[in-house]
Amino acid sequence: MVKKRLIFTLLYNNGEFMLSRNFRLQRVGNLEWLKRNYDFSRTAAQIDELVVLNVERNRFSNDDFISHLQKLCDFCFVPITAGGGIRRLEDASALLSNGADKVLVNTMAADCSHKVIEIAKRYGQQCIVLGVDIRKSNGSTRALVDCGSKLVALEISDYLTRLRELPVGEWMITSINRDGTGQGFDSELLELLPPNFERPVILAGGAGKPEHFLDLLRNPKVSGLATAHLHNFVGDGLKQVRDLLLRDGQELPIWDANEIAALKSSVDEI
Amino acid sequence: MGQLHRGTRGCVIVDYGMGNLWSVASAIRYLGHTPQISNKPQDLQTASHVILPGVGSFRLAIESLNERGLADGIRDFVDKGNGFLLGICLGLQLLAAASPEDGQTAGFGYFPHAVERFSFPPTSDLPIPHVGYNSVSFSHQTGIFSDLQQGSYFYFVHSYRLAPALTNLNTGLTHYGETFVAAIDNGQVAGTQFHPEKSQTNGLRLLKNFLHRR
Repeated sequence: MVKKRLIFTLLYNNGEFMLSRNFRLQRVGNLEWLKRNYDFSRTAAQIDELVVLNVERNRFSNDDFISHLQKLCDFCFVPITAGGGIRRLEDASALLSNGADKVLVNTMAADCSHKVIEIAKRYGQQCIVLGVDIRKSNGSTRALVDCGSKLVALEISDYLTRLRELPVGEWMITSINRDGTGQGFDSELLELLPPNFERPVILAGGAGKPEHFLDLLRNPKVSGLATAHLHNFVGDGLKQVRDLLLRDGQELPIWDANEIAALKSSVDEI
Repeated sequence: MGQLHRGTRGCVIVDYGMGNLWSVASAIRYLGHTPQISNKPQDLQTASHVILPGVGSFRLAIESLNERGLADGIRDFVDKGNGFLLGICLGLQLLAAASPEDGQTAGFGYFPHAVERFSFPPTSDLPIPHVGYNSVSFSHQTGIFSDLQQGSYFYFVHSYRLAPALTNLNTGLTHYGETFVAAIDNGQVAGTQFHPEKSQTNGLRLLKNFLHRR
């Protein structure tokens, strides 16, 4: 049986990694700083997948982003999903040949869905993750694109029904309201999925403590849970989540993360 | 350039235009080697360890290896018998007898297994491809499977697989709708259907076992 996944998301903006709250960004530090102060290689040894998103809003600094993606591969031995600003097949190709196993598309699915089909034809639908960002306000629930800056004109149920036709491997649904708040995931968003929805779903936005993962990961509609909260979940944070879930008997892969440092460069010592 | 170690002549990752070589190279570097990514058959002849990765269609992969002279390069490397070969994902399938993907195509034939698409009973609603972490049981925890626990998790992405066969080869098996060959090791030639470079310390341990072969 395929296991469920604990996923960490890094938000990249012009050489720095960011914290996000309701999609408003705050700088945390660059990659070296992340490795040093947040002990990110230990965090990486506790996860099942890494998502790296380029959230730069004004220009698409692909080269810098790609060089960061390559560097992350040096100490992340899990599948990596990369995205943010993908507009063309070539953008996806650049990420997939520089360390990404999957690409996340979001705005492209709303604006020019035929390009999503183009990527699927070239690389297979299993390497596409469809991102859907959802906001609730004044009693209405809507999807937004362009880093949460633009409302999708369609009603949410119509939009999701349309997206269902796209050849992608899985969906990643993020609650803009809960993003970065630490108040817990919004499991109600799963109720918005079309009936008999057949694809794996990752839920993101709101994780604040290990208990938030506990009941939700048991939900058959959820394949993975993601957090981007650097303050709450680096260092030993995700280890605590993982240990709690495994003690609870949940279906996660078991990693011997203590060995990661011992394996480093061991061949040199022959 | 391949970094020279006592008893080794360097690790070459075969580049034939199919698959993400970056992650494999990163894992090898993490383990202390400087892998050489090469599309030249002559580089294989001086190597001690050759890795054949790959994602995509079996037929295209064989055609691409033939066009570049790499198929002969790999055969020469194995025939000489003074180095070790590891196929990853499609790389494992290429080492088997043949695959019907995109029209029946012969593989290298180092393993007698047939490559076929997953075949599930009609009542099954399991998705294909098989994507995600799944557990592997080994017939012997030796060779490249040394120090790996029974049931260790590895990362898979594939629609075709090697069917189990009656062999004495050291084999790792996985269940997804049916039992299939997740990894195989004959001492000189080995292969994994999963991606060791995406399988945390389990995968790094397997790659380390491979690089330690002498």
